[in-house]
Amino acid sequence: MTENDVYAIALQNALDEMRNACPDIQHAFIFKETGEIVAGDAETPQKVIVRVLDAFNDIFNRAEAIGGVEAVTLKCGGGTVALHSFGEHNLVIVTSANADLKYINTLTRVLIPTVLKLLEKISPTPLKNIPAQQSPPTPLPIPTLKGETETPKVDESMKEAGAEEPIIEKPKEEEIKTEAPSFEVPATQLIVENVGGLLVPSDTVRIDNETLTQWESMFEGKKVEYVEIETFDGKTTKCKVKPIKDSKYFGKGVVQIPEKMQLTLEIKRGELVRVRPIIE
Amino acid sequence: MTKKKKSLEETATAEALTQPITITATTEDLKTRLEEIKGYDGVIGYILRNATSATIDLKDPTKLIEYAILSSSALDAAEELSELFNLGDFHDILVEGKNSKILSLTIGENRISIFFEKNADIEKPLKKLHTF
Repeated sequence: MTENDVYAIALQNALDEMRNACPDIQHAFIFKETGEIVAGDAETPQKVIVRVLDAFNDIFNRAEAIGGVEAVTLKCGGGTVALHSFGEHNLVIVTSANADLKYINTLTRVLIPTVLKLLEKISPTPLKNIPAQQSPPTPLPIPTLKGETETPKVDESMKEAGAEEPIIEKPKEEEIKTEAPSFEVPATQLIVENVGGLLVPSDTVRIDNETLTQWESMFEGKKVEYVEIETFDGKTTKCKVKPIKDSKYFGKGVVQIPEKMQLTLEIKRGELVRVRPIIE
Repeated sequence: MTKKKKSLEETATAEALTQPITITATTEDLKTRLEEIKGYDGVIGYILRNATSATIDLKDPTKLIEYAILSSSALDAAEELSELFNLGDFHDILVEGKNSKILSLTIGENRISIFFEKNADIEKPLKKLHTF
């Protein structure tokens, strides 16, 4: 089980418990600053979640004047939508009109930060380096101890900083290094953003340099020049990739896709896509 | 036939009672009330906008554009979210930040945003606006 799974399961359980305690909660999901959905309810369609994130994203992007967003509460005749920000995690709760908001808010503000703090203590690995939850996690090879040969595809760069150095027999290590690029890098879930400017090449997408560097380190420094974009409707395309130029998109978990390509893939700004590096 | 008509009338009355009261405030009324609200403790300022005019009153005018854009985004997001989750009529949206908070709502054709200090009470101004 990867650390990402641990986080997702723990947060999912916390959400389920909250919904058990408060049946007036109609929808609840947790997403990260990058737009990645960490946990959620099965009843909310993916497309709805993406549009919700898009709506909140507009507020987040313009909230510098108030010192960033801590919470958003939308009251309507038929219920309430509340967003609570806990560091890089954001919880969205939709409740019915009869819900006891004070009780739900108290529960939310205690339970979720407690679970997050607990997880942080158990597994302090920075979450932003963990791949998207929705892409099936490729079983990452675990470094084997001396004598064990079950997982020969381990890459040195995949080891966590500070992790105990496993004793690996030297000849096997060499063998490992030559095979390393053959493992499949898990897809990264990114939010579609438009590409601004003149003379935008229609066959090139732009991704955060940090993501490209991570991929390149997984491929032993090989330059990632192509990626595969996959939509949630299953449409895929292969295209060139370059780092994002516009600093306002740095670290936002977006992929800038030319308009023509968006039309071909039948996607639009704010939707989520899976992006996978291709090494040729 | 008469019975059916009566029954329809009863239904209509019952529906009218459950529907939110339509506020038909004029922009001038709102301006007056917002001026009063501006004097409340912790209120930083307000924006009142409709199709033909806009009134902005902020203690710190340097943040005027940022506040205006944020309040507009909040109102747009509110409409989108209420539609997405079928939540019916939009009442208000509160965006709380680390330093301050914004309460946005629409009354008739008027889009209103009130800016508060972080710990200010929003109930009193809300009540004031809804007493039309």
